[in-house]
Amino acid sequence: MKERRTSKLLVEPPASATGDIAFNLIVFFLVCASIQPDSGRPQTIPRSDKEEQQQKENNIEVALTENVVMIDGQVQEDAAFFGLVQERLRNKVRDEDRVVIVKSDSNTPYSRWIKFTELIEQAGGIITIQTEEEIIIAQ
Amino acid sequence: MKIKRKKSQANIPSMAMGDIAFNLLIFFVILARAQDDSHLHWEPAQATEVQSSGVAKVSLVIDSKNKYHINGQRVGAVQLTSTIKALLGDAPRGERIVLLKVHKDAPAMFFEPAIEAISEAGGDMVHILEQRH
Repeated sequence: MKERRTSKLLVEPPASATGDIAFNLIVFFLVCASIQPDSGRPQTIPRSDKEEQQQKENNIEVALTENVVMIDGQVQEDAAFFGLVQERLRNKVRDEDRVVIVKSDSNTPYSRWIKFTELIEQAGGIITIQTEEEIIIAQ
Repeated sequence: MKIKRKKSQANIPSMAMGDIAFNLLIFFVILARAQDDSHLHWEPAQATEVQSSGVAKVSLVIDSKNKYHINGQRVGAVQLTSTIKALLGDAPRGERIVLLKVHKDAPAMFFEPAIEAISEAGGDMVHILEQRH
């Protein structure tokens, strides 16, 4: 007599569990999506006060426009910028001496601003910004 | 003769538990998305060195149309400082991180007021950037 095979090769999951499976899948993808960390660059902008206003005359001034970068009013090549800032900050030890004032033209794109402020920080400078509004008041 | 009252049973079928949980989850996801800024369109600028930003209470986005959004909600330029201040509250140093997500082509007239507002509100600013390869 032949013995009947009882084992089934294909076992379907019970239909009642599909809700739970979907739930677990959603939780999995949500966790995956939420653990993507943001990466970036921390930056501290010092607050300006009266002492800093007096100090401004000794600080480096960088003016940025869409195509041009100037250091203390002198137009510089983009490639030479890092070396020049590094050179000027060479013997400055105190934080207040290493402040670099960045003045941007209103149309300067963020990517360009980030590029040059990164170079200033790499050269050892401490960035402070001067907006157009402040420039007009100072004049 | 006493007539027996028919007891009607109103049990939630246990089979539907998965579906109930699923719908609850969808509800909370939609609720959470209201505070999320992933639906906003902006492209990060590039930098050579980037580091992990950590957990932040506030996220300020300047999108490709130069509009300000704080934690996914549209705000005006004049409301920036007060909104950031309110969200940061009395949080101690180190827990006052503000993520600044600016579209790479946004002009200075839009991102500089945002930087000033974060500084005025006493936030620890982190520019969200993309690693340059």
